[in-house]
Formats: sequence, C-alpha cells, structure tokens
Amino acid sequence: MTCEDLRDSYELYALGVLEGEEKREVEAHLARNCAACEKYLKDALGVNALMLSQAQEVVPPSRLRRRVLSSVGQQRAGWEWVAALAAACSLIVALWLGVEKRITDRELANARATLQQTVGERDRLEQAVTFLNQPETRQVNFGQGQPAPPRGNFFLNPRMGVLLIASNLPALPAGKTYEMWVIPKGGAPQPAGLFQSGPQGTAMHILTGAVDSNVTLAVTVEPESGSPAPTSNVLFAAGF
Amino acid sequence: MLARLIPVSLALALLQVSLRFKDDGDLARRLKARDGGAMRELYDRYGRLVYSLILRMVRNSAAAEDLVQETFLRVWNRIQAFDQERGALGPWVVTVARNRAIDYLRSADGKMSAAALELDQLEHPGRFCDFEDRALSLDRARRIKAAFEKLTPHQKTVVELAYYEGLSQTEMAERMQQPLGTVKTWVRSALKALREQLTEAAAV
Ligand SMILES: [Zn+2]
Repeated sequence: MTCEDLRDSYELYALGVLEGEEKREVEAHLARNCAACEKYLKDALGVNALMLSQAQEVVPPSRLRRRVLSSVGQQRAGWEWVAALAAACSLIVALWLGVEKRITDRELANARATLQQTVGERDRLEQAVTFLNQPETRQVNFGQGQPAPPRGNFFLNPRMGVLLIASNLPALPAGKTYEMWVIPKGGAPQPAGLFQSGPQGTAMHILTGAVDSNVTLAVTVEPESGSPAPTSNVLFAAGF
Repeated sequence: MLARLIPVSLALALLQVSLRFKDDGDLARRLKARDGGAMRELYDRYGRLVYSLILRMVRNSAAAEDLVQETFLRVWNRIQAFDQERGALGPWVVTVARNRAIDYLRSADGKMSAAALELDQLEHPGRFCDFEDRALSLDRARRIKAAFEKLTPHQKTVVELAYYEGLSQTEMAERMQQPLGTVKTWVRSALKALREQLTEAAAV
C-alpha cells in the first residue's frame, strides 16, 4: 500500500486498535522511517489527543489529589498537618500563658514565625518524605531510656544520604550550632552538616549523597561556623 | 444562529483546556528534576481532564480513581524519556490516561497482555515530539468538536468505540451487528472529517 492508502489508518494505529493487513503495512512504513507516514502518525496523535480532551468535565474528589501526590512523595498534607498543628499548639500555649501573665507581642511574633517557618520547610519535608519512602532506607533511634535526653531517629539510605529527625534538643548557647558527623568504621568523624533547632527543640537535618551503610552518626554542639572535627562531647549518636 | 449562541460556555471549557497546555516545557523540566511541587502542578493542570476522561470510559468512580493514580505515576516514572524542548506534555498525559482505562476495560473483559504491551509502545514519550505549535489550542479544540458534532450517528458511534472502548473495526462490526466493510467506511469517513477540520484550520 502507498502512504496515501494508509492515510486514514493512523488514528486507529495510534489508538492500538488497527489490525490485520493495514496494521502490518503501517508498521512496515514506520519501520523504514517513511517520512510521509511519520508525519501522518504525528498528525494522528494530535487528533487523538484533541478528541480525548473533549470528555465532559467532572470534578475529581479532593482525596484523589492527596493520593496521587503522596504516591510520588510530593504530598505534604500529612506533614503540613503535623506542622500546622504544632504551630497552632504553640499559639494556644502562648494565648493560655497570656491569661496567666499577659501575652507578649514577642510570644505572638514567635508563633507567627513558627507558621512562616513551617511554610518555608515544605520542600525539605517533601525531600524527607521521599527519603522515607525508599525501601532501602534504614532507621536507628537514639535517646531511649535516658532521663531528659534528645530523642529521635537517624534514617540512612546508602544511595541518598542521611535524614535526622530529633526532638528535645537542649537550647543552643549564643554563637553555637549543632553539627552532625559521619564516623566510618575505624575512621575519624567527617563533618556532615550544620543545623539549628526549632522553637520546641526539634530539628530535621538532611545530608545528601552516598553514605557507607555501616557508619556511626553523631551530633555535637560547635561554634557557629562549624568545625572540621568535633570540639565538644557527643550529644547523641547511633550506629548502623 | 444556534451555533453562535452555544459556544459561550463551550468556549470557556475549551479555553481552560488550552490554558492547561501552556508552559508545559518548563513543567516537564521541573518534573524531570523532581522539583518539589512539580507533580502538584501537573495534577492541578491535568487532574480534572484525566479524571473526566477515565471516568467517562470506565464508568466507575473507584476504578477511575485507581487509574488516575496509575496515570500520574506512569508519567512520573517515565518523564525522563520525555523531551521538554520538543515534547507535547498534554497530548502525552491524555494518551497515557486513555490507555490505562483501555487496559482496565480489556482486562475486565478477559483480553490483555499482548495488547497492553502494544499500548505501552504507542504511548512512549518519545513519540510526543515536534507537534505543530499549539497542538491543543482553543481553536483546534473548537474545530474538532464542531466536526464531531457534524458526524452521522453511526460515525459518532464508531469513533467513540475506537477512542473510549478501544475496539478494533472487527469488534465494532460485531458489536453493532453491521458488515465489516460498512463499519470501515464509517470509520474512514469520520476520521477524515475530523482530520480535515484541523488541516483546513492550519491552511487558513
Ligand atoms: Zn509511508
């Protein structure tokens, strides 16, 4: 068959419903990169997409959006909830304190800052969710069974890096920061990034990049600009 | 005339369709980079269209939701093979959505496997390249809609059976209890009418 004979077959071919002799012919023309037929196929894909865009609009349920986004790790509604709840709680605490000793502008400003920070953290939260979704991510917790310790989890993914989620961190003295360390078996601690804690002593820190799967992870308090090697006692640590 | 009066609401709906297809190159680039929020934007742009199409095809809202999720996951997982400079994201997404629904209809019917593999190749992102500018523009959408409305009832039926139910011409003939030759004539003339509306539009 000539290209022209096949002109009316390309829409059906692109829909996967062409059969028999016509289908074999179309495939033969495309296999030899027949320019006319490639153009016909392109036109057909365009016609098909336009036809398929004509379905009468129905509004999908909003849960579907959450479901789709969480399936690729870009849903943050769950995290937003937690963060928004925490922000709301701090505001309620501030208001309650206000009954006791008059709420200060500063407390309100703090609550507002928490909310703003929450919004700013979205991308990092998404990154964290993606990280947690990976099957090869392993988890070690720390701080269990100590009286008033920092608590939390290290998550290690040899391909992606380390995610640290901690709470109950002691307030940092002025001019200080937390620093994470990756300590290889029998090696010296390697700097693994600086982080601060939030208003409630919570922190999330992400180290991106490949990491050995049998390292120890630790956190110390260091001068604001960080240190090449730890200069204080280990605040908490956990081994994989 | 009636034709002049109806299109106000229609035009609005079509305008939304054409707006959806704007700036897709940038969105595709961000999807490839796994940019936070890119998937949200993709869903907000195409979620309604994809859901409407799939629901129309499978007529079951629970199944439609599953298939919408599958559609977006598939786009997400295959976006790396998509060319953001030359590709047409909308046509690709719509095609992936239609094929998920067809897979579902066919498997519910006990058919499958070889056909599913074939659809897989037909929807490869590399094929959705170098479309003419504004492949899904308002003007083209309006023209094809008008052309479809002008088809005879039989022509409309065969077009719908091909697009929304994935039937071959033999299957259409069986379903409609009509000779295969007759069905082929309807299909051929219908597709020709739809296509010519667009090429005329391009020629004007
Ligand atoms: Zn050819």
